[in-house]
Amino acid sequence: MRTNIIGIYEDDEVLLKAVDKLQENGVKVADVMSPFPIHGIFERLNLTTRMPLATFLYGAFGTISVFAFLYWTSVVSYPLKFGGKPLNTLSFIIIMFVLTIFVGTFFTFMTYFIREKMYPGKEVELPVPETTNDKFVIVVNKTEEMTNADINNINKLMKESGAIEIIESDVNYNS
Amino acid sequence: MYNTRVRGVLIKGNKSYSDITHEILKPMNDKAPLWWWVAAFVATGALFWGVWGFYNTISVGIGTWGLNNNVAWGWAIINFVWWIGIGHAGTAFSIFLLIVRQKWRTSINRAAEAMTIFAVMAAGLFPLIHMGRIWDGIFIFPYWNTRGPLWDNFNSPLFWDVVAISTYLMASAVFWYVGMIPDFATIRERTTSKMKKKIYGALSFGWIGNARGWLRFETAAILLGGMAAPLVVSVHSIVSMDFSVSVVPGWHTTIFPPYFVVGAIFSGFGMVLTLMIILRKVYKFKDIVTDGHLDAITRILVFVSLIMGTAYLTELFMAWYSGNEYELFTFMKNRVTGEYKFAYWTMITCNAIIPQLFWIKKIRKNITMVFIISIFVNIGMWFERYVIVVTSLSKDFLPATWATYTPTITEISIFIGTIGLFLLGVLMFFRFVPTIAISEVKGVLKETTTHKSFTDED
Repeated sequence: MRTNIIGIYEDDEVLLKAVDKLQENGVKVADVMSPFPIHGIFERLNLTTRMPLATFLYGAFGTISVFAFLYWTSVVSYPLKFGGKPLNTLSFIIIMFVLTIFVGTFFTFMTYFIREKMYPGKEVELPVPETTNDKFVIVVNKTEEMTNADINNINKLMKESGAIEIIESDVNYNS
Repeated sequence: MYNTRVRGVLIKGNKSYSDITHEILKPMNDKAPLWWWVAAFVATGALFWGVWGFYNTISVGIGTWGLNNNVAWGWAIINFVWWIGIGHAGTAFSIFLLIVRQKWRTSINRAAEAMTIFAVMAAGLFPLIHMGRIWDGIFIFPYWNTRGPLWDNFNSPLFWDVVAISTYLMASAVFWYVGMIPDFATIRERTTSKMKKKIYGALSFGWIGNARGWLRFETAAILLGGMAAPLVVSVHSIVSMDFSVSVVPGWHTTIFPPYFVVGAIFSGFGMVLTLMIILRKVYKFKDIVTDGHLDAITRILVFVSLIMGTAYLTELFMAWYSGNEYELFTFMKNRVTGEYKFAYWTMITCNAIIPQLFWIKKIRKNITMVFIISIFVNIGMWFERYVIVVTSLSKDFLPATWATYTPTITEISIFIGTIGLFLLGVLMFFRFVPTIAISEVKGVLKETTTHKSFTDED
C-alpha cells in the first residue's frame, strides 16, 4: 500500500508558493488537488497533454471519411443528378464541415473520459473530501527510501509554507 | 494556462470559496418552494396539451394543421426557427465568451447551456411531426436500403439541417454535462443523504479534481469551444438556407445567413436575460449574477438590435434596388403594408426599436424594465419568423393561388406544448442541478471579488 503525505492549504496562491518551496528543497510533488484549476500549477508539475493533437487527428479523420462517404454514395454507388448540379458538388463542404465538428467533439470527449479513466458510477474516495469545496492539497508520495528525517523535513516545509494541517493518508484515490 | 485578468467586481459580498458552494447548492438542498410546484404544474399541463396536439397530428395527419398548397409551412417551421434561435444563446454565450476570454460568462453559462439544450429539444420536435408519418423518420438519415441503395439528397439544406442540428445538440449536451462533473463531485462529497450520494456519485464519473484532471478538463473545454464556435454560426446559416435557396420572393436573398445568425443570438440573449432575472430573483443569486452581468447582456442586446434594424432596412432597400417587382411587392405590399402589417410592425418595434432603450443607463439599471424588454425581444423574434414564413408563402408569383393562413388549435397546442416542455426542463434544471458553475465561479472569485482577505494582500 502506498502512503501519501498530504498538506492541506486554504488558498491557491499560498499553495503555489508551497509547491515552489517543496520543489526547491528537492521534494517531488506527486499531485495537487483543488476545487478549481489553479493557474500555474501545470507548468510547475510539468504536466502536458496531447489532447489538441488528438482532436486535430479526429477532425482530419472526420473530414476525410465524410468526404469519402459522400463521394462514394453520390458518384459511385448511385449517381443521381439533382437540379443539374455536378455529382461531386461543392455542397459536400457543408456536411463535411459540420460532421468534422461532430467527429472531433465526440472523440475528444471519449478520449478525455478514457484517459481520465472516468465512467458513470465510478466510485472514488478522496483523501481530503473538502478539496471539492474550499481546500487545496499537495500530495507527496511516501517512498520506502525516505528516512524519518526526510519525512520530518517535508512536514516542516509544508508547515512553514502555510499548510493548515498535514496528514498521512493511504487512500488510493487515483486508480 | 488559459488565464486572463478581469476588470471590475464579478462576485459581490465578500464571499469565501465555501460560501459560494453553499449558496449555489442551497436551493437544491431546500424543499422545493411553492412557486416551483405551481410552475411545474402549469408546465406539465401545457406539455400534456401539446401531447394531445402531437397525437392528433400523428393519428389524423397534417390535415389537422391550417396549411394549404401555398402556405405549406406554418407555425411548425416558425416555432422551429424560433426555438433554434433561442437555443443559440447557450453556446454563443459559453463558447464565444470562452474564446474571447470574457470571465463574466462564468455566472451565467450553465443556465444558458441548459436553456440551449431544452430549446433545441423543443425545436427538434417540429420537423419530426411535420413529417406526418413519423415512423418513417429514419428516411432522413443516409442508411443502407433496398432501393438501390438510394441516398439522401446531399445538396438539400433540409438534409444539412438534420446534420447540423444533431451535431449542435450533441456538442452542447456533452459540453454542458462535462462542465457539471466537478460540481456533481462537490455535491457527492458534501451531501449527507445516501440516495443523493449514490446518484450524484454516479453522475460525477469518479471526478477527483487533481492537477492532471483539471489540465485535461480545461484543454477539453477550450478544444470544444474552438470547434463549436463555428457551429454556432453554421447551424443558423443552414437554417436560413432552408429558405434562401428557394426562389420564393422575400426568401431568395444573400443576406439571410448573417441575418439569421444575428437574429438567433439576439433572441437567445433575450431569453437568457429573461431566465437569469428570474433565477437570481428566486434563488437570491444577486451577488453572483450581479447587476453588472445583466448590464453586459443589455449592452450586447442594444448592439445586436442595431444590426437587426440594419438588416430589416437592407431587405427593404434591396427589394427596391433589385428592380424585381415580386420582391418589391412582397416587402412593400405584403409586409410594410397590407394584410400582415401588424406582424411586420410588431417585429420592427420589438426587435429594432424597443431594445434601443438600453442606451439609457437608467433603463439598464432598472431590472423590471430590462425584464419587460427581454420579453418584447422574445415576442419580436417570434413575429420575425412569422413574417418571413407566412407573408412570402401566402402571396407568391401567381395571384390565382394566393391563400391565407390561420393556425388551427392543433398547431397552437403543439406550440404551447413545447413551451411546457422547455419550462419543465428549466424547472428540473433549477431543482436538481447546480444552476451556476461552482468551480468556474471559484476560479474567477479571487481576482474579481471584494473579499477582505484577498484585497488586503494587494
